[in-house]
Amino acid sequence: MDSFEHSADFLTTVDRDGALAETRSHAERTLSRRRLFGMTLAGAGAITIARTAGAHAAAGLPASDVDILNYALVLEYLQASFYTEAERSGALTGKTAEAARIVGATERAHVKAFLKLLGSQAVKRPTFDFQGTTEQQRPFLKTAVAFEDLAVAAYKGQAPKLQANPVLAAAVGIHSVEARHAAWMRQLFGITPAVDAFDRPASRRSINRVVASTQFIVSRPKLTGRKKPEFTG
Amino acid sequence: MRQPEFQRLDERTIDVRSSRRALLGAAGAVGALATIPVVGRMLQLGAASASPSKAQDVKILQLVLQLEYTQVAFYEQALRQAGLTGDLRHFARTALEHERQHLAAIRKALGAKAGAKPRFDFGQKTRSAPAFTQAAIQLEDIAVAGYNGQATNLTKGTLAAAAEIVSVEARHAAWVRAIAGQVAAPDPVDEPMTAKQAAQGLHEIGLRT
Repeated sequence: MDSFEHSADFLTTVDRDGALAETRSHAERTLSRRRLFGMTLAGAGAITIARTAGAHAAAGLPASDVDILNYALVLEYLQASFYTEAERSGALTGKTAEAARIVGATERAHVKAFLKLLGSQAVKRPTFDFQGTTEQQRPFLKTAVAFEDLAVAAYKGQAPKLQANPVLAAAVGIHSVEARHAAWMRQLFGITPAVDAFDRPASRRSINRVVASTQFIVSRPKLTGRKKPEFTG
Repeated sequence: MRQPEFQRLDERTIDVRSSRRALLGAAGAVGALATIPVVGRMLQLGAASASPSKAQDVKILQLVLQLEYTQVAFYEQALRQAGLTGDLRHFARTALEHERQHLAAIRKALGAKAGAKPRFDFGQKTRSAPAFTQAAIQLEDIAVAGYNGQATNLTKGTLAAAAEIVSVEARHAAWVRAIAGQVAAPDPVDEPMTAKQAAQGLHEIGLRT
């Protein structure tokens, strides 16, 4: 199953159209500026799920399921924040704006569902910086395609590992919705919505590596422009 | 094209206990639908909620086989008769190619246990572009819901292989909706179908036998 251990292979498969690779190179170009502002880039660190201590899993779920759900939650946070930010930017028009509104609502619903399921064991929402991809229609679509294809591969990789049947049933129902989103975003971007007869899964390690490479996850809120309080104490 | 790793299931003998339980369960669910032989066989699956086993995988894949046969026949006939052009034709050709590969993978997994190709009567559904579009949306939604409905009934290995197919069916469903100008992903979670519901849906589309 974990046949994508080489990140280059993985990127060319999941990221067929180069969106994430392009975003990464954009991120690399802006890295020095970001360092200037003293930002800490957490990358893979942020998506590494804080494992909850103890065997008391949420709602009596197996600990391994809680772990997988938290991993899925981070991907859902990423997607929900991405669409919400794009919607708010006002940069999207026509069918793309409509699709982003609907898909965004769905991703937010997924986040809500996982938060409810996980209760106090849910990981916190990381801080994101989408590197300007939410501020223009074409980069938005390209990144959306990459995110959705990534989510499909991620859910597919984890589904057979889930132990609790209700969790598995929910996960497969979300998995196919992510595939619908992927096809929709591809159609809007103008590329084939279903490239191959079989969609391949991806391991957590591969997904984490790709997400880290985008540098969309930052460890703490942007500090740019924020002034120190004038009065302290 | 790489195929998913469905384990060959035909060398295994079907577990007598679980198939008997399935038959007994089906007896209660026999309605008008069960008079159609293939649907009758599928109804047994609807009642088979035993824990996953190779024997149960075989039954589920036999249902999946009917689904893939239906899709292949539907797209073949539509491409001949529905006068499809442009995006819709491109979609139908691509989907047909995918469904043929799915069919081959399921047949290979079932080996000697693969049933023969059923008969079909798609009526007007393959005779015009608008009718085709509506039926294709319905058929792809049945495929997604049918696969999803069996996720908890499959052994983990077969589930992993089936998961490589179901998301492609979901892509088809969204694709044809987008071409038709509809919302491509209307629900936050795809509702599953039981085997019985999936069989009934396939019959409505045109699966006979």
